[in-house]
Amino acid sequence: MDQSTIVCRCEEINIDEIETAIKMGAETFDDIKRLTRCGMGPCQAKVCMNLVRQLIYDYAGKPLSDIPPARLRMPLKVTRMETLASNDSPSSSSSVISVFNESASNQGGDIREK
Amino acid sequence: MKNSYDIAIIGSGAVGSSIAYHLSETKQKDILVIDKGFPLAGTSGSTQAWVWVHPKTPSWYGELNMYSAELYPILEKKIGDVEYRRTGGIAPFFSESDRKDALKLAEAQAEAGINIDVLSRKEVLEKEPALSPNIAGATFSQLDGNVNPFRLVELYIKAAKKNDVTFSFYNRVHDIQKRKDTFTIHTEKGEFAAKQLILAGGPWTKELGNMINITIPVKQVRGQILVTEPLAPLLKHTIGGIRQANNGEILIGYSKEEVGYDRRTDLDVIHDTANMAVQYVPDLAKANVVRCFSGIRVMPEDGLPIIGNLPGLENAFIASMHSGITLSPIVGTLMSELIFDGETSIDIQNYDIQRFEKMKA
Repeated sequence: MDQSTIVCRCEEINIDEIETAIKMGAETFDDIKRLTRCGMGPCQAKVCMNLVRQLIYDYAGKPLSDIPPARLRMPLKVTRMETLASNDSPSSSSSVISVFNESASNQGGDIREK
Repeated sequence: MKNSYDIAIIGSGAVGSSIAYHLSETKQKDILVIDKGFPLAGTSGSTQAWVWVHPKTPSWYGELNMYSAELYPILEKKIGDVEYRRTGGIAPFFSESDRKDALKLAEAQAEAGINIDVLSRKEVLEKEPALSPNIAGATFSQLDGNVNPFRLVELYIKAAKKNDVTFSFYNRVHDIQKRKDTFTIHTEKGEFAAKQLILAGGPWTKELGNMINITIPVKQVRGQILVTEPLAPLLKHTIGGIRQANNGEILIGYSKEEVGYDRRTDLDVIHDTANMAVQYVPDLAKANVVRCFSGIRVMPEDGLPIIGNLPGLENAFIASMHSGITLSPIVGTLMSELIFDGETSIDIQNYDIQRFEKMKA
């Protein structure tokens, strides 16, 4: 194992890149992820999470129990968009909005005087 | 680490770190940036990072966004490759009756020099063949684009560090006091003194304001986003709601919820966002989603940025805005002008916090 050993297979991130992030002050897996893309690929950190936690432990000397795991997010495993889509169009109460409609509805809606 | 600085900036997101970098360019000031967490753990790391101009109204606000977008190529020469791409932006509409509003938007924005084309269905599909044939038309502008937010914030910080700015991460601010001409900032890692104070705390701006007894009228708004696995090039433009990143992954989402600082995702919004993806770009039905995430954005109560001096407290400044990624280059520039020269090259009176008092009166 040397500095070029790959830790995150999805994004091809090596030990050296992880250590560079730790030197910048990263303390958690997610800190490192956002700087290096480690864990952002299709497996969503399933392979690299504990390898990275081990590196944080080796480098910073923090006990493993104090190094939080990666934040897991839905849908947990890769899922087709059409499976997540419910086919019916969003209800009018939906918080998902159209960029166009938002700017159109702001038209002339300058709420304060210039 | 020293305890005394010329300037203390609270918040190290896109806005705070851009201000730190721009202030540091002359290397005349001792600058400290304090952040309660690690850069990109908050708003700046949970965004699609459009550099987005054309639909932003009133037109003078669109103009500010345009100036900021124009600064990106220069910024990139100074701090390094932030993967800024001026892709052009498309905001589709689905009903022919919307064309009237689209033309009105184009006319209003033209006043500020923002060129918008109102496209027919055929023109939209020529520009962006992956979009749905159900689209009636779109507004289009060359000015829009996107950037890699992770690279952006990291490179602002690296460039600022090179200019001797001190950063203190994982250091929550508990209290701020002003005695005579000095701010004392009480933090988890000790006390720091500074002659000038800049609040750039994003969604935590209100709490920071409370520490100096100033009510900052901002809300927290959640946005949820879906990410696909990397795909072959599909989208050439930044679409209002969707963009493809350099590595091929596609980011989808445009939702706004006021739920406080709650960064969970929820199934209703994921459903509606997936519907939007398929409605706009039918081929996305077959794309694999690897992750959903959410970010909390700060939203001033009238939707417009708050930039400038804080009233009644000399040498205290604020920069608080929804579109921090788009605006970070211009806001860093303006704050640096304000602090060094006492005035800015662009009039920022419209963004003064005291407008809210006037609204009440």
